[in-house]
Amino acid sequence: MLHSPAYMHIPDGYLSPIISLVLFLLTLPFWYRGVQRLRQMVNARSVPLIALLAAFSFVIMMFNVPLPGGTTGHAVGGALAAIILGPEIASIAISIALIIQALFFGDGGILAIGANCFNMAVVLPYVSYAIYRWLSAKSPITSRRRLVGAALGGWVGLTTAAFFAGVEFGIQPFLFHTANGTPLYAPYPLSVSVPVMVVPHALVASIVEAVITVLVVAYLQRTNQPLLELVEKPELVAEASRPRRLRWLYVVLAVAIVAVPLGLLAPGTAWGEWNSQQLASRGLSTIPQGLAQLENLWNAPLSGYNLPSLGNSNAGYILSAVVGIIVVAVVAWLFTTLLVARKPNTSGKSN
Amino acid sequence: MSATSETKPVKKRQGVIEHTLSDISHTLEQSIFAEDIARQRGLLQSIDPRVKVLSMVALLIAVGLSRSLAVIIGLYLLTLVLARVSAVPMSFFIKRVWLFMPFFTGIIALPALFITPGPTLVQLPLGLMITRTGAMTALFLLLRVSTSVSLAILLVLTTPWNSVLKALGVLHVPDVFVLILGMTYRYIYLLLHTVNDMFLSRKSRVMGRLSGAEERRLIAASAGTLLGKSLHLSGEVYLAMQSRGFRGYPRTMDTFKMRALDWACLIGMLLVTGIAIWLGSQGTQ
Amino acid sequence: MSNEAVFDFQGVSFAYDGKVKALEDASLCVEAGERVAILGSNGSGKSTLLKLMDGLYFPNAGTACAFGAALTEQAFQDDAFNFSFRQRVGLVFQDSEVQLFSPSVWDEVAFAPLQLGLRREDVVKRVDDALVSLRIEKLRDRAPHRLSGGEKKRVALASVLSFNPEVWLMDEPTAGLDPRSQSWLVDFLIEQGRAGKTVVTATHDLNIVDSIADRVYVINEDHHIVAQGTPGEVLSNHELLIACNLMHEHLHRHDDRSEEHSHPHIHLPSHEHLTA
Repeated sequence: MLHSPAYMHIPDGYLSPIISLVLFLLTLPFWYRGVQRLRQMVNARSVPLIALLAAFSFVIMMFNVPLPGGTTGHAVGGALAAIILGPEIASIAISIALIIQALFFGDGGILAIGANCFNMAVVLPYVSYAIYRWLSAKSPITSRRRLVGAALGGWVGLTTAAFFAGVEFGIQPFLFHTANGTPLYAPYPLSVSVPVMVVPHALVASIVEAVITVLVVAYLQRTNQPLLELVEKPELVAEASRPRRLRWLYVVLAVAIVAVPLGLLAPGTAWGEWNSQQLASRGLSTIPQGLAQLENLWNAPLSGYNLPSLGNSNAGYILSAVVGIIVVAVVAWLFTTLLVARKPNTSGKSN
Repeated sequence: MSATSETKPVKKRQGVIEHTLSDISHTLEQSIFAEDIARQRGLLQSIDPRVKVLSMVALLIAVGLSRSLAVIIGLYLLTLVLARVSAVPMSFFIKRVWLFMPFFTGIIALPALFITPGPTLVQLPLGLMITRTGAMTALFLLLRVSTSVSLAILLVLTTPWNSVLKALGVLHVPDVFVLILGMTYRYIYLLLHTVNDMFLSRKSRVMGRLSGAEERRLIAASAGTLLGKSLHLSGEVYLAMQSRGFRGYPRTMDTFKMRALDWACLIGMLLVTGIAIWLGSQGTQ
Repeated sequence: MSNEAVFDFQGVSFAYDGKVKALEDASLCVEAGERVAILGSNGSGKSTLLKLMDGLYFPNAGTACAFGAALTEQAFQDDAFNFSFRQRVGLVFQDSEVQLFSPSVWDEVAFAPLQLGLRREDVVKRVDDALVSLRIEKLRDRAPHRLSGGEKKRVALASVLSFNPEVWLMDEPTAGLDPRSQSWLVDFLIEQGRAGKTVVTATHDLNIVDSIADRVYVINEDHHIVAQGTPGEVLSNHELLIACNLMHEHLHRHDDRSEEHSHPHIHLPSHEHLTA
C-alpha cells in the first residue's frame, strides 16, 4: 500500500476467498511445472537461484519507466523474466516476489496471493513467452524480430493479465451478493470491470511493460548475449527425468480445478448448497465419500442451532476453509518433494 | 519516522530516476521502521509469531467471508485495539490504511454508489442518486480492504520479519520454501542497494535532467546489468551454502516457545474468528 | 590425522566451463597446523585454488587430495565423506554478501551446525559461543543488510567458527575493511594458528603476510604457481613481486617505502582488544 507499483496487485476484499482459492488451485500446476524444470536444470542449486531471481523480479517492479509524452509507470517485468528464464521458472520467481510484496510490503492481498500469482506470474509470462517465441522463431539472437517479439509479448501479456483480472472482478457480483442483491466484493459486472481493467492497461501499463522488455532485450543483445540463450541452451537442461510417482497429483489437481468452479457456477446452485449428492448427480461420484464425511462433521454441531435459512451455507463456508487447509498441505508436500533434492548432484560447474 | 507513511510531496514532475531512488530509499526505511516497532514492548510483540500468523490468516478469512458489515467493522475495531496495546503509533496505523484508500479502492468504490441498482438512499441534484445497495456495496469493499490491510500490517509491524518467515512453518509451508523466502528478502536489499549505487553514480555524472529516452536507456541498462549480477551471485551463494554443508535438504530451526499467554491468545483469536465467521454468515448487514 | 598432509595438490588445472583458464598445473602441499599464504594479484586464480581446496570445484587435470583422500565429484556424492570434509574445512568468502545468505545473524551462524546435523541444544550452544567469541552477541537478530562491512566480516567468521573446522581457508580476508578491522582480523588468524588450526589465506595484501603465514606460495598472472618460500624470502624478492603485479615499480625504487610496505607492523602476541 505504501507505493502500489502497479494496480494489478489485487488487495484482499475485492475477491471472494473462494475465488482466490480457485485461482490458487489453477496456479498450482504451473508452480509444479516450474519447480520440475528447475530441478532438471540445477537441482540443489535451485534454492539460491530462485531466491536471486525472485529478488530481481521484486526490484524490477520498483523501476519507474517514463513513456514518451510524460506518463510514467511501473513494469511487472514478467515478460522479460519469461524471455530470459522461460515461462516456467519466471513463474516461480515472480510468484515469490509477489508473496514477499504481499506479506511484507502490503502490495496485494494475502488471501489474494493466488489471484495475483495467477494473473501476473502465470498468464503474463506464459502469454508473453508464447508471442515472443512465435515472432522470433529461430531468428538469430541479435535479430530485430526478437525485439518485435519482446515488445509485443510484453504488451499482449500484461493486457491479457489485466483482462483476467477484469474477469475475476466481474464475476464477483454475479456469484456473491446478499439476499437483497448487494454485491459483497468487487461490485461491477463483467461489462464494466473488463473494459475498466483492459483499456487503461493497454494504454499505459502494458506499454511500459513492452518498453522495458524491448529495451532490456536490446541491451542484452549488445552486451550479454548468453543471457538471451539461457532458455535455448541445451547444456543447461539435463536429461528430462520426470518423477512419475507424482502423477496422481495431476488427478487431484484436475478434480479440484474442475470441482470447485462447478460448484460455484452450476446454475441455480448457490455455493452453500453444493453437496455431495448434487455432485454425484453430476457424475462426479469420485469425490463424495470424503466430502460427505466432512459435511456431516460440520453439519452436526450447526444443525443444533436450527437455522434453516443458513442451511448448508455454513457448511459451505467451513468446507472452503477445510479445502484451504488441504490445499496448503498439498502445496507443502509438493514443495518438499520437488525442491528437496534426494540425491543432490553436486555439480562443480559454476561461474 | 511516521513520515514514512506520508505521500510523497507532489513536486513538479520528478525525473523517474529520482522517483525510483526515492521509492528504493522508502522501502529501505520502511523495513527499518517496522523492525523498530517490532522491538518495542507490547502485547502482540510478546506473542509467539506462530500464533500471530495463524490468527491473522484466520481473521483474514473471517473478514473475507463475512456477509455482515457489522462483523467487519467489529474486526476493524479489534485491529485498532490490538495496535493500541502493541505500541504501534495510532496515527501511522490509521493513516497508512486510510490515506491510500481514496486513491485506489475509493475511486473504484465511488461509481458503485450511483450505478448499482436498488432503492434510493439519497437524491442528489442533476438526477443523480445514491442507492442503498450502492452504498452498502461500497462500504463492503472499503471496509473489507481496510480491515484486511490492517491485519496484515499489524502482523508485520509487531513481528520481526524473520520470525514471520519461520512461523509460516505452522501453516505447513515447507522449510525449503521458508529458506527461499528468507534468501529472497535478504537479497532484495542487496539488489536495491546495487540499483541505488548504479543510479546515483550515473546521476552524479550527468548535469541536469536526462531526457526520457536517456532515462529509458539507463533503466534498461541497469536492469540488464542487475540480472547478470543476480545470476552470478546465485552461483556464488550456492558454493557458500555447499561449503557449509548444504546438500539440498534444508534444515532450519526456530526457538519459539508456546507460553500460557500464547495459548490464551490463540484460543481467544480462534474463538473470535469462529464467532465472526458464524455471525458473518448470517448476512444481516 | 598424524603426519598426513592436509592438502596435497599435484599438477592441478582448472578452467571455468572448460574454457576460461583459472589455474594451471598447480602443485602444493599444506601440512596440518601450518599457516600458508597464497599471494597473487586479482584474477590470478587464488580464489579458484581455495574453492578447489574446499571441494567446491574439481580439477580438470591433476589430482587434488585432502586428508589423504582425493577430492572428486563422486567422493562428495557420499554423504559420510561430504559430512566429514565439510566439518573439517571452512571457507570464508571474500565477498561477505555471498557468505551471508541467511535472513538474520543467528540463522547465519546456525546454518552450518544445522546442516551438519547437530542436535538442537548443541546448535544453540555453538551459535552462542561463536557470537560471544567474536563479540557480536548484540547483532544476533540483525538482518545482514543492516550491518557494517566490519560487522559482516565478523558474522562471516562466526558462521565458520560455529562448526569449529580444523582448516580455515580465507579468501582476501582484509579486502574492503577499515584499518582497525584489518588488524583485528589479522589477530584472529594469529589466534587460530596458535590454537593449532591450519590456516590458508589467499591475499594480495603484502602487509599482512608476515603475520599470518609461515610459508608463502606465489601465483602469477598466467595462473601458475611460480614461487614458494618463507614470508621473508618472498617479500624481499621484489623482482618476483613486481612480475606478479603484487608491487608497483615506484615503490620498489624508494627503498625505505618498499621496506615499510613489505614489513608491516608486528602484532604483539597478547595485546588487548580495545574495541569489540
